[in-house]
Amino acid sequence: MSEDATRTLGKGSQPPGPVPEGLIRIYSMRFCPFSHRTRLVLKAKNIRHEVVNINLRNKPEWYYTKHPFGHIPVLETSQCQLIYESVIACEYLDDAYPGRKLFPYDPYERARQKMLLELFCKILEYQNTTFFGGTCISMIDYLLWPWFERLDVYGILDCVSHTPALRLWISAMKWDPTVCALLMDKSIFQGFLNLYFQNNPNAFDFGLC
Amino acid sequence: MLEDSARSLGKGSTPLGLVPEGLICICSMRFCPFAEKTRLVLKAEGIRYEVIYINLKDKPEWFFKKNPFSLVPVLENSQGQLIYEPAITCEYLDEAYSGKKLLPDDPYEKACQKMVFELFSKVPSLVGSFLRTQNKEDGAGLKEALCKEFSKLEEVLINKKTTFFGGNSVSMIDYVIWPSFERLEAMKLNECVDHTPELKLWMAAMREDPTVSALLTGVKDWQGFTELYLQPGGL
Repeated sequence: MSEDATRTLGKGSQPPGPVPEGLIRIYSMRFCPFSHRTRLVLKAKNIRHEVVNINLRNKPEWYYTKHPFGHIPVLETSQCQLIYESVIACEYLDDAYPGRKLFPYDPYERARQKMLLELFCKILEYQNTTFFGGTCISMIDYLLWPWFERLDVYGILDCVSHTPALRLWISAMKWDPTVCALLMDKSIFQGFLNLYFQNNPNAFDFGLC
Repeated sequence: MLEDSARSLGKGSTPLGLVPEGLICICSMRFCPFAEKTRLVLKAEGIRYEVIYINLKDKPEWFFKKNPFSLVPVLENSQGQLIYEPAITCEYLDEAYSGKKLLPDDPYEKACQKMVFELFSKVPSLVGSFLRTQNKEDGAGLKEALCKEFSKLEEVLINKKTTFFGGNSVSMIDYVIWPSFERLEAMKLNECVDHTPELKLWMAAMREDPTVSALLTGVKDWQGFTELYLQPGGL
């Protein structure tokens, strides 16, 4: 998690300057599963980016100019374009940046991945290959992953004990270099959770010096 | 093209055969605002299609195999591929067919259309709740909530300085949000756009669009349907 290991910006902070040419900025928070999706895509596609972490309990006044309700993630380009909603941001990155395409080319296969996302809660009936999109990791796997990584930390991995295909998927995902690079440290995440449930605004910077 | 003259299929009806080559089939319901989005795109893009109407209060057993949510719209192509969820069906049609493109090519402009759709996302359920509400107080609260959502969309039009949500000509985002606005008059909710003049102008411009006017449902027909649909065990 070294790329985003920076302290959050909160109330009273200075707004960051314009995004340098050749970079894209993500407004994020280290433990947020929605931002995690977008960070996975940034990493998987090797997109040069900078991370600005936002203190979600103590949001900077300037942040509302980036998102009307102060949500994360938000992408900001060097042309001051703002893109929000995690799935929209992920799709934008796949469209706008060359190289490895995460969404399939075929329109039906693309539609199928989007339908799978809708069926997030009923995924078990729809997995018939190692990864959700086929034999290789693709967009849908990254979009689902953040919640499964957290299952382990929440201590409820037992809920996949009756679903061998899903357990296999979790192991296969942990072999993926992108997933590995962003894997959260269990004890740091637990530390965050403890403080978060106490409504402690220091939660977001837990584990940083 | 089998259009709005066919009766709906219900329990006990024969399952559909294969979709012929060169056609796409849409499972729909004449008054469904969600299916209307897909029908608007089919029409606007000049795609050859056939319509099958589903009785949503007495669904055919075979319909659950088409869509696990057993909702309309559902698209089925000649390879037996099934696509559901309104927004997904619209995007699929735009990507799979080589005719008129409704979504912009530019990734940022495309993302903007999706962000506008998110801004709009509370409208359908508010309209649906208003339809079902029995008492005046709840109705007034819902109208107020609707006005609030409409002012978000008004702001988009003001900032863009264009007639339509995607620019100066009609595009995907306009079609996917239109069905809720088409129903305002029949539901006596027109006052909700009184304080949003750009949105009101957009509505008038949409009514002039040939695709929208081809698929317009008469107010009386719509009110008749709603009356029956809301009755317990109706239709």
